[in-house]
Amino acid sequence: MHTDARRVEAGDIPASTSWPVELKSVSVTYPNGTKALQDVSLRIEPGEMVSIVGLSGSGKSTLIRTINGLVQATDGTVTVGPHEITGLSGRRLREARGHIGMIFQGFNLAERTDVFHNVLVGRFAHSSPFRTLLGLPTKADRELALRALDSVGMLEKVWARANALSGGQKQRVAIARALTQQPSIMLADEPVASLDPPTAHGVMRDLRRINGERGLTVLINIHLMDLARQYTTRMIGLRDGAVVYDGPAGAATDADFEQIYGRPIQSDDTLDARA
Amino acid sequence: MTGLQTPVKLPAQTELQTPTKPSRLWSTVFAIAVGAVVLVAGAGLKITWSDLPAMPGQIAHYLRLMFEAPNLEKLPRALFETWRSISMAWLGAIMCVVVSIPLGMLAANGVGPWWLRTALRGVFAVIRAIPEVIIALILLTVTGLTPFTGALALGIAGIGTQGKWVYETIESVQEGASEAVRAAGGNTAEVTRWALWPAAAPTLMSFALYRFEINIRTSAVLGLVGAGGIGSMLSNYTNFRQWDTVGMLLIVVVIATMLMDAVSGAIRRRIMEGAKVRDVARSS
Amino acid sequence: MTTGELAVPARPTNRFRTALIVAAFVAFTVATCIPAIGGIDLDVGAIVRNWRNGAGKMLQLLQPNFAFLPRTWAPMLETLQMALVGAVASAIVSVPITLWAASPTNPNSWTRITVRTLVNIVRSVPDLVFATVLVAMVGVGALPGVLTLFLFNIGIVVKLVSEAIDSSDHGYMEAGHAAGGTQLQINRVTALPQTWPLFANQWLYTLELNVRISAILGIVGAGGIGRILDERRAFYAYGDVSVIILEILVVVILIEIMSNLLRKRLV
Repeated sequence: MHTDARRVEAGDIPASTSWPVELKSVSVTYPNGTKALQDVSLRIEPGEMVSIVGLSGSGKSTLIRTINGLVQATDGTVTVGPHEITGLSGRRLREARGHIGMIFQGFNLAERTDVFHNVLVGRFAHSSPFRTLLGLPTKADRELALRALDSVGMLEKVWARANALSGGQKQRVAIARALTQQPSIMLADEPVASLDPPTAHGVMRDLRRINGERGLTVLINIHLMDLARQYTTRMIGLRDGAVVYDGPAGAATDADFEQIYGRPIQSDDTLDARA
Repeated sequence: MTGLQTPVKLPAQTELQTPTKPSRLWSTVFAIAVGAVVLVAGAGLKITWSDLPAMPGQIAHYLRLMFEAPNLEKLPRALFETWRSISMAWLGAIMCVVVSIPLGMLAANGVGPWWLRTALRGVFAVIRAIPEVIIALILLTVTGLTPFTGALALGIAGIGTQGKWVYETIESVQEGASEAVRAAGGNTAEVTRWALWPAAAPTLMSFALYRFEINIRTSAVLGLVGAGGIGSMLSNYTNFRQWDTVGMLLIVVVIATMLMDAVSGAIRRRIMEGAKVRDVARSS
Repeated sequence: MTTGELAVPARPTNRFRTALIVAAFVAFTVATCIPAIGGIDLDVGAIVRNWRNGAGKMLQLLQPNFAFLPRTWAPMLETLQMALVGAVASAIVSVPITLWAASPTNPNSWTRITVRTLVNIVRSVPDLVFATVLVAMVGVGALPGVLTLFLFNIGIVVKLVSEAIDSSDHGYMEAGHAAGGTQLQINRVTALPQTWPLFANQWLYTLELNVRISAILGIVGAGGIGRILDERRAFYAYGDVSVIILEILVVVILIEIMSNLLRKRLV
């Protein structure tokens, strides 16, 4: 019956549900004393496509992780849709995470597991642990996983091992994994930093499509200014753990970027120059 | 199917062209075959498996006898015997290392002549294949059961593995370093002394200590068959079924072993880190 | 030694350090040679005397009595059975314990440290010591042998595999956590397939070890070929002993070859 309750809950979320994100004076200090975020306040509306720009060490990775609680805010509150992430733990945190999709720079696939089971990871929060242990996904979960793979064009690789895929294919499987969650918001931490330029554009297009077709809120950490301008509508600049820019991405000038980076623009700040 | 109310914009009811799952027939057959062999092996053993459920209770009973109130009366004697075992292990390790370093070096590619290499490797392989305890046991019957012969037995029984480690280490450091000395006109002995030895020494020292750690365990085992030390004491009190003393002895064995492992392990790490620091300093 | 020290050649300090290390080494070695405190009496004469008595035995060893071979089949089979059953039983039990003992798969430091400590204690008891005590507990036979191998194998597998898991890349776990999975779900679906080659490798290694160990377990009464080895030795039948050793040698090498073949296929 426990299982039934969860299933209803997962199905209850209307297809178009997209969540806002709100950070109220959030600070993060790591146990070693590093202040990664200092007094960050933001509101992101449902369906926005936002890039978070900054150098490595600027706190953008920490920021995106406070949204799904992989990093807990030391101060302030993080609210995602109906969930106040700050202070959540255990089952309720996992439930909230179940609605927040995330993709990573290193793809974070289990390399020796086939694509299908990697994608099923997205159903963890929505399925009974008992079924996971026995390796028996429900028909509905299976269908969700396969449709998600199909939507990123990876269905024919469903039985391939993750380590047999190219970088771009891996990231698409990772996107499918996140979509399988039927997320209400999508986080991406440097999703294209490990990819070559054509593949990087492909992945960015996928993310834009998810935002456009499903109306999902999408947050992307990125340090490449041309991609931020081209694919996102709003840009948040981080420097030393504080927001130093917040405005339309397309209108951001080179000067704005120099201000965010705190140094003149270099060739590796854009993808096309790198190519 | 509530799960199908997905936000997927594709027409949700289209039939997916899912590739067929690859067959796992052979791995299944293999797993069943292994399972069958294990079951046959288990059934063939003269063990009354139906007694197994009673086992935990029985073992708990003895554990209580041993550890509820370990008998500390014999502790001084136990410490004395522990030192004897450690001494056996230490001297055995020294003998083993002293013999296996030159022999192992001669067995390395590019150092000794091919016929010597083949012969030495053969000897190492044979010694390695026979369990150390059996080699030691045979030697002990010939030389007599004393702690000294125990140490000697440890020294000889360890040569198989130790010699292999030596030639593998030498071969792994051979590239580069030896060429420089050879280019400067050095002969094989000079290459060994000035190129191979400095590069291999930290690893070899580390392996020597590792041999000591292995010997700590093996020396207790030799004691069980009469070579003296903590193993002999344990064997005696187990035969007398003086469980409280056995419990104390086991505690001593565990603590002594862990302590020696920890000390020796810490030294090994220092040796290897020191070598790494020197390498970095050299290359920069 | 730091790079800073290296910048200024500090030879005297090194020399002092070297002297200290050599002194410690010599002192320890001397202490192991003082019989009064438990050290070893280096009586070379006794060995020489005994050697003369023992030379004959050595000669007998070089003349294996192959007529004895048929009587070794049953005990050798028992040895192999013990090795296999012990390895498989420990392989099954080692999986949950290993995942418990590695930090990526068990974030709870209390249970992790408890499991690791227990495993370290088990590991520090030599195999034959386990066998001796277990024989006294449950009686002579294959059972104490299998139990010994079981405990010994768990110690090896848990230690080596959990350390390998600790040091390997486990980014995939972050994805599982981000998707809201429990640790158990993540371990089952991703960590287990990921670490399977590590396990398989160690399981094969324990099987190899078990054949060697179970060959000697009989010496303390725990069944297998070791029992008749000890028996023939007690009767001074060195021709028989020699056959048994040759047989062990052949079996150990065969098992090693087989397990290397399997290893190549599995990994």
